[in-house]
Formats: sequence, C-alpha cells, structure tokens
Amino acid sequence: MAAVATCGSVAASTGSAVATASKSNVTSFQRRGPRASVTNDSGPRLVSIAGTRPSVRNGQLLVSTGLPALDQLLGGGLAVGTVLLIEEDKYNIYSPLLFKYFLAEGIVNGHTLLVASAKEDPANILQELPAPLLDDKCKKEFDEDVYNHKTPESNIKMKIAWRYQLLPKMEIGPVSSSRFGHYYDASKRMPQELIEASNWHGFFLPEKISSTLKVEPCSLTPGYTKLLQFIQNIIYEEGFDGSNPQKKQRNILRIGIQNLGSPLWGDDICCAENGGNSHSLTKFLYVLRGLLRTSLSACIITMPTHLIQNKAIIARVTTLSDVVVGLESFIGSERETNPLYKDYHGLIHIRQIPRLNNLICDESDVKDLAFKLKRKLFTIEWVQDNYLRQERNIYPPGFSYLLKQKDSAWGEGSLQHSTFLMSFLAKATAFASRLVRHSEPLKQNGSGRIRQAAGPRLWHDGRRQEAPGLLGIPP
Amino acid sequence: MTPSEGARAGTGRELEMLDSLLALGGLVLLRDSVEWEGRSLLKALVKKSALCGEQVHILGCEVSEEEFREGFDSDINNRLVYHDFFRDPLNWSKTEEAFPGGPLGALRAMCKRTDPVPVTIALDSLSWLLLRLPCTTLCQVLHAVSHQDSCPGDSSSVGKVSVLGLLHEELHGPGPVGALSSLAQTEVTLGGTMGQASAHILCRRPRQRPTDQTQWFSILPDFSLDLQEGPSVESQPYSDPHIPPVDPTTHLTFNLHLSKKEREARDSLILPFQFSSEKQQALLRPRPGQATSHIFYEPDAYDDLDQEDPDDDLDI
Repeated sequence: MAAVATCGSVAASTGSAVATASKSNVTSFQRRGPRASVTNDSGPRLVSIAGTRPSVRNGQLLVSTGLPALDQLLGGGLAVGTVLLIEEDKYNIYSPLLFKYFLAEGIVNGHTLLVASAKEDPANILQELPAPLLDDKCKKEFDEDVYNHKTPESNIKMKIAWRYQLLPKMEIGPVSSSRFGHYYDASKRMPQELIEASNWHGFFLPEKISSTLKVEPCSLTPGYTKLLQFIQNIIYEEGFDGSNPQKKQRNILRIGIQNLGSPLWGDDICCAENGGNSHSLTKFLYVLRGLLRTSLSACIITMPTHLIQNKAIIARVTTLSDVVVGLESFIGSERETNPLYKDYHGLIHIRQIPRLNNLICDESDVKDLAFKLKRKLFTIEWVQDNYLRQERNIYPPGFSYLLKQKDSAWGEGSLQHSTFLMSFLAKATAFASRLVRHSEPLKQNGSGRIRQAAGPRLWHDGRRQEAPGLLGIPP
Repeated sequence: MTPSEGARAGTGRELEMLDSLLALGGLVLLRDSVEWEGRSLLKALVKKSALCGEQVHILGCEVSEEEFREGFDSDINNRLVYHDFFRDPLNWSKTEEAFPGGPLGALRAMCKRTDPVPVTIALDSLSWLLLRLPCTTLCQVLHAVSHQDSCPGDSSSVGKVSVLGLLHEELHGPGPVGALSSLAQTEVTLGGTMGQASAHILCRRPRQRPTDQTQWFSILPDFSLDLQEGPSVESQPYSDPHIPPVDPTTHLTFNLHLSKKEREARDSLILPFQFSSEKQQALLRPRPGQATSHIFYEPDAYDDLDQEDPDDDLDI
C-alpha cells in the first residue's frame, strides 16, 4: 500500500511558455555578452514565482492566504517561510474553512500542497475545497449579494464626526486584476480536474503510525516525529530548499496541518495539565519553523487552543508561530443575543503579526473584526457600530446613550451636543495636564458624590479602559 | 404481539429521541453524574438498537454481566454480544478470552471488521477506560472505530457504527472531558430538577452548526423511554415576573425629543467649522463697528490669570 499519496503530474509550468512568448519580442535590441546566446529558460533575469508578490513595505515575498480580506489585515499576505496559526473556534466550524481556502489558493496558483491530518484523510479534505471564482459574471453575483445586506443606517452622514466616514472600507468583492488573491465560492466544490492537475502530498496519521511505539520522556511524540520527517523529505526531494538544482520553475510548497495538538496526534496537552509530553508541541513548532525558514514554503496550522489545559503552553505556541489568528464563534455564547453582533457569526482576533527583517510589525489598528459566513462567501468586516463604540471611549457612557436616541436633541449638530462636548473635553484636558504636571489627581473637596473634574481615565496603568461615568461611586 | 412489534409501535416522540441519538452514528457521549445516572439511558439505547436489528456489542467493565442484563427480556439478551471485563479485568485467570488485549484490544479488533451490518458498541463505562488507559490512545481508538464509515468512496461496504460511551463527569477533569466531547458527534448531558430527569442533547454534525435541545424524560422498568413535558413553571421558586422595559426618557428634566420644526432647524444649522461661501464673504468683508466696543475688566483677588497653573509655580 502506498504510504504517501502523491498525485499525478505537475501543473503545466507556464514559465517556459512565457519565456518563449517574450523571446519573439518587439524590440530589436540584442543583449551583448554571455547572455546573448542563452537558452529559453534562463532568459528572464528575475524569476518570479506564480502566486507570490513582494510586499510593498519591505520587499518580503508574500503568498496569499486565500482570503483577500485576511491578506489585507496581515499587511499584504503571508510571508514565505512563516507559519500561520489559526486558533480554532469551539465547535470547529469556521477554522476548516480558512484551512481550505489556503489550500485552494495553492491549487489555483499551481503550488505544491502538503496536507497533514490525524482526523480526516487528506484526499477527502481536497475533495471539499471551495471552487474558485475566476470570471467576471461571478462578480455581478457578488455585488448583488453584498448590497442586499447593507442596512439603511449605514448611510447616515455624519456631520461632526465626519472623519469616521473616511475610514477605509474592507474589500469584500472581487477586484478586477486578482492575480494575487482569489475569491472562492464556498457553496461549490473545486472541479476535479484542477485537483488532479495539482501536485499534492498527503499525510494521514493513522496510516503511518503503528500503535505500540514506546515514547521516551521529553522527546517528540511519534506522530510529530513522522510528520517532521515527511515534511523534510518532501522539501529535500522536490528541491524547495534549493538543494537539488531544479530543472523546472521554482515553486512554493504550501503545508497544511489540521488539528495540531489534539489527542488524535498522540499529544496529551488537551487532556492533562502537566502531561509527560508537554514540550512535544513546542519542539515540533520550533523544528518546523527551522524547516520553513530554509525553504520556499508557507504553512497553515489549525490548533484547538480552547482545549489546551495549560495556558502557558498557549503562550509558548503563540511565540513560536509567526502569524496567529484566533476565531471566536458566537454559537452558544451570550454574545449571540447581543444586538451589536447580530449580523455576524463570530469575531476574528489577529493576535500576532511577525516582525520579519523589521523592528516594527505591520499591525493594523483595527481591533473589532467580525466574520460572517454567507452562503457563498466568508467575509471579514468591522463591527458596524464601530463609530458609536469609539465614541463611547471618548464620552461617558450616559452621553452615548443620549446620542443613540432617534431624533434626539443631543444628536450631532445640536447646540447641546457641542457645548457639552466642549466643556467635557476642556475638563478632560485640564485633568490630564494636571496629572502630567503634578502626577496626582485633583483633591476631592466636595461631598464625595460627584467626583471633581472626573475626566476619562483613558490611560490608567498603561491600558486603555472604558470611560467611567460622571457620577463617581461613593466610597 | 411480540415485544419488538410493541416497541416499534411506540409513540412517535419516544422513538424520535432515541432515533436521533442513534441516527448520526459516531461517538455518542452520555455524561451523567451521581444525582442523575445514565446507565438506564444506555440500556434503553442498547435495547432500541437491538430491536432495530443492529449488531450490539457491550464492553462491560464497571458492572457485572448479570446486573447489566437485568431488566432485558430474553429476546434482547440473546442478541447482545457481551464482552465481560468486569470479572477478570487483568486477565489473571489466563483463560482463552476472545479479545486478549483487554478492552482496548477488543475495540481495535472492531476497527477491522468489514461486514455491512450497522453496529452499536456500548462502553460501560468510558470512565473506567479513561482512568486506566492514556487519554490519547483512547481518543485515537475511538476515532478509528467510530469513523470507519466516513469514506465517501466505499460507504456501502461497511455499515454505520455507533459507539455509546457512558462518562461519569465528576471523575474527570475538564481536559479529558473536553477532548472526548470534541470527538463526539452527539453529547447527552443528564440533569434534571425535582425528580424529573432531563437530557441536554448537543448534535455536532460535521461542517454545520451544532444543534441542541433539552428533553425531559423518564425511563420505564422495561427500558423504554417516556418523554415528558418539563416541570411546571409556577413551581420554580425564583421565576422573576415579567418587567416591562422601562423607558428612561420619561422623567427627565430636559427634553430629548425634537419636534418637526426643531428637527428642520437642526438640519439646517451650519456648524462652526463648516466653511461655506457665506462665511467666507463675512470674513472677507471689513467689519463695521470694530472701534466702538471695548471690554473693561478689573481682576479681583480670587481671579486666576493663568488657569493652567493653579499654584503659580511657573516662572514665565
């Protein structure tokens, strides 16, 4: 029985075809020197790999994660040689989607895939990939889909806080020239011929492992060892690390590992707080990162961090990965009934973005991102009441309640609003400047019911807090 | 009327609950506790699947075979295949057992079967196995057993497998219980109030939202299920009366509502920083009465000339 399920022929390399097309070029200038008599394949100096682009900020080579909205949040895409860790949601409904988008993007771009799972056969995972949307008539369907869901309140023009309307919107529909990120239809399956034309390797743990292996303490669990060996073999044999001089076009290896850390991989960090193999997962990630950094590959890992008992391991795992994205779905939680989140299925938290060859990272300053899974599309958006929530961080909570009232006399543009705002902000700045100069707040000389010059304690002990009310709680 | 026909002719609702638990296949986790025991529900499910003609294997580890078979009639007892690990769990008597590897060996052997008859495996109890075997091994074997039929290609050759596991919640920490419930297709948590048992059923279909429902039931002596309505609402001591939502705008000392005229006036208000053409003209035009207005001001003793510096510290 074949241990490794490798699929047929390599995707037709378009590199040489492009080179021949450009040979019959429009200019009659000939290059002098040794390159004049060169063959087709080494004609172009800079070999660009399909499906990648250099980052506009620091030139790092990026691949798309399959979701252009997520690419935008990560600063353009996932850097080649890094790990994208997805913290699964509680019932594991949405994280397989992100996993599949990543793999589908690899197939569409002609990258080599390596799918590893302990739960499902990789061949089955590949059968369920979403179908790509490659032509323009699908764009029209998307636009209709998007506009049907726009609520009327989003069209209120803001007169005082007009700068909030200038916040950039997230791209949710297909753009015309999408050679980098593609859009997928989650309701359709990827056509079989695309899957068969791609080059993929599968690692299904129950087939590889024999059940009676003895595990030494403080070493990797056998499942992880086998997986690392498998990845290393593929990287070496197919030349992703430059060891074999490749005759064909250089390509990217996309690695996908599903449910890493679950008990099905033989790891007991989800079962026990201080198990014998508590360093197994962190060692695996360390070795994996070394393998990735020395090869042209990108990896996506989904991990059920909500099951991990020892929270210190989660912190170590986060540090050992490069990009960490957490999914939190609203199913079964009390946020499901919160009207703020009624249009969404969950929150998406960008927990970490790497600093690759940089001193700072490209973190976007948006903190409230929510996702929703429509019938065809997985969208990531800012939570709609972002404006009012930001407002509440400046104004005391009672005031934003007044603002929310329809036809309120305290709405924007009213005299009451402006005078209140001016006096409130004046008090806030006086308080803040007093704090800066004397580093002590104003002495409370009154009865104690009303705190003197209660300003918003925005930066109390280094962390931003909710603004307190104007009436202090009597001690 | 034979007992099997009688069971099939039972009420639709009764069949629904047991059917729904068995229909999905995979691992069905029955979480019970000291107050609400789950073995009777396990036996009801075993009886139901035996009557439906499935092959039923019981791995008895926690109670003796006589105690488990008690209450079943002979027809059902003949259909059960009982593997007894209670009498001799460490195999000291060294008799020729069918499954030499203990319960784990028995489960692994069931992974390799090939006949198309649907099978129900009842684990009595999963807690016993979890306390004696490493959790990861148990999870891997349970996953292998309950997912034999999940390959899309050859789904006709191997019948559907249901694994019913009885788990005593109080014996384990959140880790193993969480790991097992992430593997389970259906999770039934037994609870109840005031003498009536309830089952909170959570169904996790793959790639779909999990559905949950609470069902009140009681089990009759012949291990058939009797579904009931929940306990009456008036008997609950802490039911809060329905408070109508308070409108906070009723007793305010200022006006929150705008009349139509006021709204129009507000909309037409030009804000101070909006730079319109009239304002531009007003600023460019030379102001007429500039020289006529003066302000005379005499500061008094308490007046603070520099409001930013209350102590007059700054030496500017």
